[in-house]
Amino acid sequence: MKKLLALLLCMMLMIPAFAVAEDVEITLWTYPIGSWGNEETVNGIIANFNAVHPEIKVKVQYLDYASGDDQVTTAIEAKTTPDIVMEGPERLVANWGAAGKMLDISDLWADTKDDIIAASPAVEAACKNGEGIYYEYPLCMTTHCMVINYNDFEAAGALQYIDEATHTWTTDNFLKALDALNEAGFQPTAVVYCGGQGGDQGTRALVTNLYSGQFTNADHTGYTMNTEANIKALTLLQTLVNEGKLDADPGIVAGDEIALFCNSTISIGFCWNASAAVSNKASLADDVKVFPMAFPSDDGVPELQGGIWGFGLFDNGDEAKAAAAKTFVKFVCDDPSQAAASVYASGFFPTRASLGDVYAGTEKAENGDYAIFMPFLGDYYQVTPNWAAQRTEWWNLLQRVFAGGDVAAEVAVYEANANK
Amino acid sequence: MQKTARLPRQSVAMKQSRRRENIAGYLFMAPSLLFFLGFVIFPMVMCLVYSFTDYTMTSFSFAGFDNYKRMFQDAIFGKALWNTIILVLISVPVTCFFSLWAASIISKLHDRTTSFFRCVFYLPVVTGSVAVTVVWKWIFNRYYGVLNYLCMNLGLISRNMNWLGDASTALGCIITILLTTSVGQPIVLYVSALNNVDQSLVEAASVDGATNLQTFWRIKWPQIMPTTLYILVITTINSFQCFALIQLLTSGGPNHATETIMYYIYYNAFKLQSYGYGSSMGIILALIIAAFSALQFKVAKTDNG
Repeated sequence: MKKLLALLLCMMLMIPAFAVAEDVEITLWTYPIGSWGNEETVNGIIANFNAVHPEIKVKVQYLDYASGDDQVTTAIEAKTTPDIVMEGPERLVANWGAAGKMLDISDLWADTKDDIIAASPAVEAACKNGEGIYYEYPLCMTTHCMVINYNDFEAAGALQYIDEATHTWTTDNFLKALDALNEAGFQPTAVVYCGGQGGDQGTRALVTNLYSGQFTNADHTGYTMNTEANIKALTLLQTLVNEGKLDADPGIVAGDEIALFCNSTISIGFCWNASAAVSNKASLADDVKVFPMAFPSDDGVPELQGGIWGFGLFDNGDEAKAAAAKTFVKFVCDDPSQAAASVYASGFFPTRASLGDVYAGTEKAENGDYAIFMPFLGDYYQVTPNWAAQRTEWWNLLQRVFAGGDVAAEVAVYEANANK
Repeated sequence: MQKTARLPRQSVAMKQSRRRENIAGYLFMAPSLLFFLGFVIFPMVMCLVYSFTDYTMTSFSFAGFDNYKRMFQDAIFGKALWNTIILVLISVPVTCFFSLWAASIISKLHDRTTSFFRCVFYLPVVTGSVAVTVVWKWIFNRYYGVLNYLCMNLGLISRNMNWLGDASTALGCIITILLTTSVGQPIVLYVSALNNVDQSLVEAASVDGATNLQTFWRIKWPQIMPTTLYILVITTINSFQCFALIQLLTSGGPNHATETIMYYIYYNAFKLQSYGYGSSMGIILALIIAAFSALQFKVAKTDNG
């Protein structure tokens, strides 16, 4: 009897232990990737997850691009990193992954790798380091493009210089369009913003596309701005600014430039994408008709900058939390009932071919129009080492060039500093 | 006999009472002291230690004086130091003179009017940096900013200026904003100090035929000197640590024209994750601030006679 009682007591003591072991709380930090910065949307996704996995509680912290990196850096040094962070390869792979702070999540890729490669081989390549270790599990992608005010182009007679079917144009036609806009009095036509790193993908794409230059080498080990093509492109922009056909502004960043486009101050914007189209819809002036365009290139075939967003897991030394985090990421990205909605929330395009068009028949149907740019997705070079320092060097280079610096000399300074 | 026996007993009781008071005093001080040790002294010591290390996100090793050597070969640090000194040399005297001038006018007004102006001048201090910055960003906006609009209408400029994007005007804009956010507290302090000046001395000087300037210089100025010293030191420290305005408005540009030491420390520590190098710059900044403050104490003490 005593033995039976002792056994029962032991079993009673173990019940809470089992219960505790099963309940796990994980933390997710997310940058504002479309509606992934919106509490209501993210809570809805977590509610869907908890309907299937009630044992895993997900706490969310919302980051912004102004201070998010600082918060993560502080958390890394204080050893208080979240279990999951949502961003792109330039942070997950090239920064925190390269610093040994992230978990190898190759196992998540096992059954979806082919589907992701079918959507874009560049995505798979960007999510792993040189040794083939995956630090990101991708959810969505896009190509960053530029935008024109169709009404201004129509009034200036500049529509003849764009290919309305493919949304592309050549460098020559871009120059002719600028002339037409200037002659028609649409000044300032556009602003090359260089007040900081915000939206620098736009200015990089502008420069490298004009004469088909390359920003980095093919294996992403160094920056290669110091080439004839890139110097020619920067010289052209410097000349356009000096002639007053284009503005350069070291006092603004992309967000300010988008505002100038939306309020009809300028006719061309260099920082745009599908998500920007949705988020800025309400702030468009009456005379602004958004028409997304690829960046002008000498051969008319642009190489657009990609954005790939997904999840990375910080190595916090807790296997139970890591397992729970993987369960959450897998659910969000691959569960048949959730995956499309997760991509839809981002405003971008799925990184799995099997998901198809997630916007068809929805109120974001216009986002589908931006899929036209996906064939122009260029090399994802943002995983090149020293990326954070390079970004500062980039806008400083533009500032020096537009302040009248010698282009070749300034590019040489940039390249030397970026490759340090 | 009774008296002599009572004295030592009284002395012991007094000692015990004093000890209890001391203990109580230390206990009251303890939370603040712990906070001070944990959040001020400890980080300062750690900053000093890190300044001698090559500390990044991936490495931590002793580096001796390498960070300090690197700092003095770093052209951007030199530019940041120069900008910071210009900022301090302009903003500190202007803040002090303007605050004293404004306070001397305000303090003579009716109580309610004085309170109103104190609120007006203090408003930028209690308003968040981000909100203040957003307003100033709009004022300085190149395309639709109110400053360009005013200057154009007054015929001061012929085309829109890029106030924050032009290396020749950007630092001036930062100093202007810094002044508006710096004068609030000194004005309040000066109003209070001027109201506390011994009026009998002022009246006596007046009876003796002293001019307003003589009264101010010989009677009021010595009495408000402790306030002036406090304002000088606090304004100097705040100016040396100018960061939020730079981060929110110019990121140190254009072409490092508004780069300050504080911003450069932040950039190195948080953007490039060079914690060791950032710490060494922090130490140098602390030493510069200490030197400036000591100089101000010395000058103010001499003036005070």
